[in-house]
Amino acid sequence: MKRGGLQGYIIRRLIYAVLIALGVVTITFILLRLGPISPADKYLANMSARSQDPSQVIAAVEARYGLDKPIYEQYINYVTNLVRGDWGWSFSTSMPVMKLIQRHWIYSFQLILLSMLFSASLGILIGVYSAVKQYTKTDYLATFFSFIGISIPNFWLGIMLILVFSVQLGWFKTYYDTGLPMFSLANLKALILPVITLGTGMMAGYTRYARSATLDNLRKEFVRTARAKGLPERVVIGKHVFRNAILPIITIIMFDLSGIVFGGAYLTEIIFGIPGLGRISFNAIFASDYPVVVTITLIGAMVVLLTNLATDIVYTRLDPRIRYD
Amino acid sequence: MRQISSKVGGLRNLIFIGAFLVLILILLLDIYLVDQTLEPLRYFYLFFAILVIFYGIYPLYVNRRLTKYYWERTKRHRLSVFGLVFIIFLVTVALIGPFLTQDPTKVSFQEKNLPPLGFSIQQSVYDLKTGEFVTRETPGTWKHTLGTDDKGRDMLAMLVSGARVSLQVGLLATLIAIFIGTIMGVLSAYLGGWADNVLMRFTDIMMTFPFFLLLVFIIFIFGPSLVFIILAIGLTGWTGTARLVRSDTLSLRTREFIMASKSLGASGSRIIFRHLIPNVISSIIVIATLSIPGVILAEAALSFIGLGDPTVTSWGLILNAGQRSLDTAWWVAVEPGFMLFLTVLAFNFLGDGIRDAFDPRSQL
Amino acid sequence: MDNTVLEIKNLKTYFFTRSGVVKAVDGVSFGLRKGESLCLVGESGCGKTTAALAVLRLVDSPPGRIIDGEILYHGEDLLRCSSERLRQIRGNRIAMIFQDPQSSLNPVFTVGDQIAEQIKLHLRLKHKPAIERTLHLMEQVGIPQARERMRDYPHQFSGGMKQRVMIAAALSCDPEILVADEPTTALDTTIKAQILEIFRDLKQKRNMSILFITHDLGTVAGIADKIVVMYGGRLAEAGTALDIFDQPKHPYTLGLINCLPNISTRKDRLTPIPGMIPSLIDPPEGCIFNPRCERRMPICSQERPKEVVLSGEHLIACHLYS
Repeated sequence: MKRGGLQGYIIRRLIYAVLIALGVVTITFILLRLGPISPADKYLANMSARSQDPSQVIAAVEARYGLDKPIYEQYINYVTNLVRGDWGWSFSTSMPVMKLIQRHWIYSFQLILLSMLFSASLGILIGVYSAVKQYTKTDYLATFFSFIGISIPNFWLGIMLILVFSVQLGWFKTYYDTGLPMFSLANLKALILPVITLGTGMMAGYTRYARSATLDNLRKEFVRTARAKGLPERVVIGKHVFRNAILPIITIIMFDLSGIVFGGAYLTEIIFGIPGLGRISFNAIFASDYPVVVTITLIGAMVVLLTNLATDIVYTRLDPRIRYD
Repeated sequence: MRQISSKVGGLRNLIFIGAFLVLILILLLDIYLVDQTLEPLRYFYLFFAILVIFYGIYPLYVNRRLTKYYWERTKRHRLSVFGLVFIIFLVTVALIGPFLTQDPTKVSFQEKNLPPLGFSIQQSVYDLKTGEFVTRETPGTWKHTLGTDDKGRDMLAMLVSGARVSLQVGLLATLIAIFIGTIMGVLSAYLGGWADNVLMRFTDIMMTFPFFLLLVFIIFIFGPSLVFIILAIGLTGWTGTARLVRSDTLSLRTREFIMASKSLGASGSRIIFRHLIPNVISSIIVIATLSIPGVILAEAALSFIGLGDPTVTSWGLILNAGQRSLDTAWWVAVEPGFMLFLTVLAFNFLGDGIRDAFDPRSQL
Repeated sequence: MDNTVLEIKNLKTYFFTRSGVVKAVDGVSFGLRKGESLCLVGESGCGKTTAALAVLRLVDSPPGRIIDGEILYHGEDLLRCSSERLRQIRGNRIAMIFQDPQSSLNPVFTVGDQIAEQIKLHLRLKHKPAIERTLHLMEQVGIPQARERMRDYPHQFSGGMKQRVMIAAALSCDPEILVADEPTTALDTTIKAQILEIFRDLKQKRNMSILFITHDLGTVAGIADKIVVMYGGRLAEAGTALDIFDQPKHPYTLGLINCLPNISTRKDRLTPIPGMIPSLIDPPEGCIFNPRCERRMPICSQERPKEVVLSGEHLIACHLYS
C-alpha cells in the first residue's frame, strides 16, 4: 500500500513538473513575441551582415524559425526544437548554442557547487550553535553578522574583495584564469574569492533558517524525553534536534535556489571573469545573440524545476510522517 | 449617493476611485492635448501616492491608539529605529540633495580621479609645462568632498542622484509587486477551487524562473529605460507576496467564516472584507518593507552590468565605473556600494523590527 | 535504615518571568520507599509536574530555577551532583515518562531505535543484544507483533500503544524509580485501565518505586500506596491511601473528594470548590488555600501553616490541626 502511494506520488509530481516546464517555455515565447523590436529581426540583421549571401541566410533563418508562419505554428516549432535539443545558432561565437553550453556549464557548476557547500555547512553549523546558545553574546554576534551578510550587495562584496586581496595585497589575480585544470589546487585558490562572494549572502540566509528551525525544535517535548534518558547534551542536539531541524532547512536551501543563487552566480561570474553560463549570457546580450540568452534563461528555470522535484522526492524519504495519498 | 458608497465599501473607497479617475483624465489630456509635460513616471508616483494616503496614512491617523501601540513595540528594537532614521535621512537627501550639490553629469578632465577629503593618492599626471608624466601627491579637496570619478564628475552629487533613483525604483517597483501579489493572493484564497488552482499554478510557473535571469531577459527584450526596469522588477517580483498573502487570507477566511456563520448569520461578503483586509495589511506592510532591499539591489545589479538606464545616475552605474578604476580610484567603487549596503541594511533592520512588532506571538 | 529510596526535602522551584516570580513549588517535602507507589495529586497548576521534573533536574532552566531544597537518592543529593553523575542516573536508575506520548516521542526515529537508545547507552550492549532486549520489553508491555512494529514510527501507533512504548523505553535499563507524569490523562478510559494494570504489575513483580503524578482521584485510588495532596505549590495533606480516602482532614482534600460524582448517593448538583486557583506570583498571605476555605479562621490569612503529624504517616498543613 505504501509503495504504491510513493510511486503514484512521484508520477504525479513528474507530470506536474512537465506541465510547469511547458508553462515556462510558453511564457518565454510570449515574452519574446511581445518585444518591441523582435529580437529575431535584430538577429537576422546581424546574421546577414556577417555572411556572404544575406538572402540565403534570411531564407534559412525564416525556414527554421518559421517567421512567416502563423503564431501557433511558430509556437509548436519552438517547443519541438527545444525538446529535440536544437537550441539555435550563436553567431557571436560561431557555434551551435548546445555546444556553447556544453563548453561553459562546468564553470558555473563548480562555482555554485562550491559556494553551496561552503555556505550550507558553515551556515548550518553557526545557526544550530547560535540557537543552542540563545541569548548569549555568540548568538547576538551571529545574528548581527547574518544581518550584515544578507544586506551586503554581493557584487560590491566581490569588488571589495578584489580591491583588498588582489589590488592592494596581491594575493590573488584579479581575473579568473581559465587555463587551470579543474581539479587542481591552483583552480581552488582562484575560486576562493568568487566562492566567498557568492557564498556570504547565502550563508547569512542559511544561518537564520538553521537558527530558527533549531529553536523551534529545541522547545519540543521529545527533547526533554531525550534528556530524561540520560543522553549527553551533544547527542540530544546532534541527533534528536538536528534530525528534526534538518528537514525544513534542506527544503528552504533547495527552494532558495531560484532566488539568490542564480542571480548571485550571474554577477559573480561577470565580476571575476569566470566563463560560466552567466557570463556567456551577458556577452550574448550585448551582441544581441538572442538564442543564447533565451536558452540560458530556460536552462536556469529547468534547473530550478529539477531541483524542486528532487527536493520533494528526497523530502518524502526523509520525513517518515509523509503519506502519499 | 449612500447606496453607491455602500456598494464599493465605504465613502473612502468612493473618493479614492474618484481621485483615480481624475488622475487618468489628466493623463489622457496630457498625452493627447498637451503632448506630455510630465513623464509617465510621475503619474505612477501620483497614483501610488494617492493609494498610500488613502489606504496607508489615513487608517494610521484614524486608529491612533493602535498605531501608537505598534510604534511602542517597534521602538524597542533599537536597530530598527536606526534603520528608520537612516531611511528618513536618505529620503531627505534624495529630495533636497539635488538642489544643494553640483551637477553630477558635469565632466571635467582637470579634476578627474580626485580622492575624497582626508585621503591623498599618488597619481601619475601629465604636466603640461614639462611635457612629461610626473608622479604627484594629490590630496582631496573641499570642493569635491567625496572625490571624483575618472571623468571628473563629483562623487557626492552622483551619490545623491543615485539615492533618488534607488528610492524611486525601490518604492514604485515594490508597490507594483505588492499590488499584483496581494490581488493574486487574495483572489486565489477567496475564490478558491478552480480559480485558486489556476492562479497558483501560474504563480508556480513564474516562481520557477530565477528572478534575476528573468529580469535580465525582460530588459534584454524591452530595452533598458527606467520605466521598463521598474515595471519589469514589479512584474517579476510578486510571487513571494502572492504566496504569503494567500496563506494569510486562507487562515483568516476559515476563522471569520466560522465566526460569522455562527453569530452574525447572513452578513454578506462586505463584512468579511472589512475584517480580512486590515489583518492582511499588517503582513503586507512587513512583506513590503522587506522586499524593498531586494528591489533596490536588483536595479543596482542591472545598472552595474550595464542593463540599467544610461541616462540616469544609479549607484550601480557608478560601481561599474568603479570596477574599472580599482587601482587608480578605489573610492569610486567603495562609496556607491557602501551606500547600497547601508540602505539595504536599514530596510532590513526596519522590516525586522516591524515584523516583530506585528507578530502577536512575539514576547515583546 | 528504612528503605527510603528517594527523599525530597523542602523543594523550592521558582520561575523567573517578565511578569514576576512564579513560585511553582514552594517548600514541599515527602519520601518514597522501595516498592512503594506515591501519588502526587492536585489541580492543574498546583506544581506537581514541576516537582516531578525537579527530581531529574529537567525543569526548563532559563525561566525556572531550583532555588532551595534537597533531593536525596539513597542519600545522594541529586540537585548538587555533577552533570556526569546525573546523566548516569537518568534513564538508568531513575526513569521518567511524560504526559503526551505523541509529542514526547521523536517523530523521525523508529520506535525500536528510541527504546534501544537507552539500552545501548547505559547497558553498553551491542546492536543485536539491544534489539533482543527491546523486543522483550515491547512484549512485556503488551505491544503485539513486536518484531514488525519495532521498525514503525510513532505516528503509526495509537495513543495507548505509544504510551506503552514510552513505558518500555523507561523500563529498558531496569530502573529503581519510575517517575510518571500524568501518563494516563491523554488516554481513553479503557486504555487507562490497561496502562494502570501495567504499573501495578511493575510494582508487584519488579518491586519498583513509582512516583505517579495525576489530577484524577480515580486513578489514584487504583494505584496509590501513599498520597501527597498539593495545592498552590505547597503540601496540603499527605498520608497512606487509607488515611486520605478514609479520613481526609484538610478542607481542600475534603473538597476534592466531594467533587467526585458518586453513583450511590443521588445528588442533583455536583459540589465544586468555590473560587479560583490563586496567582503563584502574588500568593495570598498565610495559608494559600484560605480564600477558598469554608472553615477559614483569622490566623489562616496571617501565618503559613506548618506540617503537623496527625498519626503515623498522616501529615497535614492546616491551622485547624496545629
